[in-house]
Amino acid sequence: MSKKVEEVKESLSEMLELPKDIVLDLPKITMIGNLQIYIENHKGIIEYNKQRIRINTNNGLLRIIGKNLSIRTIVTEEIIIAGEIESVEFDT
Amino acid sequence: MLVIRIWNYFRGYVIIKIEGLTLEKFINLAIAKGIYLWDIVRYDYTTLEAKVGIKGFKELRDVVKKVGCRVSIVEKKGYPFLVHKLRYRKMLAFGFVIALAIVIFLTSFIWSIDVINNEKIEDEYIIDYLQSLGIKPGILKYNIDTQELKRMLLTDLDVISYAHVEIKGTKLIVDIKEREKIIKKIKENVPCHIVAKKKAVIQKVIAKNGKSVVEKGDIVKKGQILISGIIEDPKLENPLLVHSEGTIYGKTWYKLEIREPIYKIIKNETGRIYKSREIKIGNKKIQMMEGDIPFNNYIKKTKEKNILKWGDMKLPTKILIHEYREVEVERVKQNVDSLKQQTTVKGVQQIMDKLPKNARVVSKDVEFSIEDNTLITKINIGVIEEIGIKQKINYSRED
Repeated sequence: MSKKVEEVKESLSEMLELPKDIVLDLPKITMIGNLQIYIENHKGIIEYNKQRIRINTNNGLLRIIGKNLSIRTIVTEEIIIAGEIESVEFDT
Repeated sequence: MLVIRIWNYFRGYVIIKIEGLTLEKFINLAIAKGIYLWDIVRYDYTTLEAKVGIKGFKELRDVVKKVGCRVSIVEKKGYPFLVHKLRYRKMLAFGFVIALAIVIFLTSFIWSIDVINNEKIEDEYIIDYLQSLGIKPGILKYNIDTQELKRMLLTDLDVISYAHVEIKGTKLIVDIKEREKIIKKIKENVPCHIVAKKKAVIQKVIAKNGKSVVEKGDIVKKGQILISGIIEDPKLENPLLVHSEGTIYGKTWYKLEIREPIYKIIKNETGRIYKSREIKIGNKKIQMMEGDIPFNNYIKKTKEKNILKWGDMKLPTKILIHEYREVEVERVKQNVDSLKQQTTVKGVQQIMDKLPKNARVVSKDVEFSIEDNTLITKINIGVIEEIGIKQKINYSRED
């Protein structure tokens, strides 16, 4: 049932050219080089240390691996992570 | 980001250290409660450092209880804490207020008066006038009405044609423009003498009106009456006062002495330069570099640089850069004859520039003498010129 709803939503957003992150409630990730990563619409952090940060999103777990990672700002809607980012992966 | 930082500074924040096992849970709970955390750094598995606002820190207590970790304050930062600290250091705050009051108090006086754009009029003349109005260094600047002062300057002093008064900081600036000198013509019905402008030997007296009191060959001093406007006659009961008219030619001398060294010193730069720097604060100088100048003969050049200035405001802090250029000194003996000619030409030219338009040159004397390796040239030019000038008679009857 919910899968069908998702599909309808996606096709609707495709048709009306609505931004997908709003319609589908997905995270919007913006990176500035490998220095900063900006995640909107997250669902809390799972793990946090200097080498690895795991963030829960609607799309599954987002894993950020790097060096000297630190959280610049964290509020209910967004996270800004700074450091030397090596990889960003989704665990679905 | 800077704006946010300043905002945070004014709101006040604390750097906290959180120790516990499930720190991610702590962060998530804090976010869920709407507590704003920033600059979160993980030191190791059990410790975390973060910044949080004062209000947020109070709300964190519930989170801490739930998660079961320890929170300690590392540092308190921001304006509210500063104020709090100052409350316990009343004397410091008091001193600050006193200092501010002194600054405001001292800047509300006029400490100096500057007269600018005056050429012939002496500063003292204007300053003395201002003093007579009660304006002198040390008075409150709020008591000065610049518009009124300007008006008074213009009406009371007839030597100036324009005045502008401005208060800049603790300085009163009086900007004036001098009136072109107007020779007051004496009206034809006013009795007057004709007097000598300068020391001269009378050559010719043409008196159209009045009584000439000098003859050809007389030596007259400056201010001596040449044509008198007072005509006394035994027949008349009272002396007759007339407006004198006439032209008097007199021989006058213009002298000039020029000293010129026979040995000329020529300085040639060798190309070696030594620089030293100084900081100048007010009138005090602080040497920045030690050591003597490594040359015997040098030309010194000094440059000034203003540091610390904001727009119009300048602190009296300057950097002086002294540049010493090494030179080789050479003494060259000059040809005395050509030097004589040179100085004569130069001297005569200088005198000619000074002569009034209608003067006629009648004699030229040049004397040379040598003293201590210097050639002294004395030039004496005799001219015939008009020497009379009208002067009002300040006549009072002596009965």
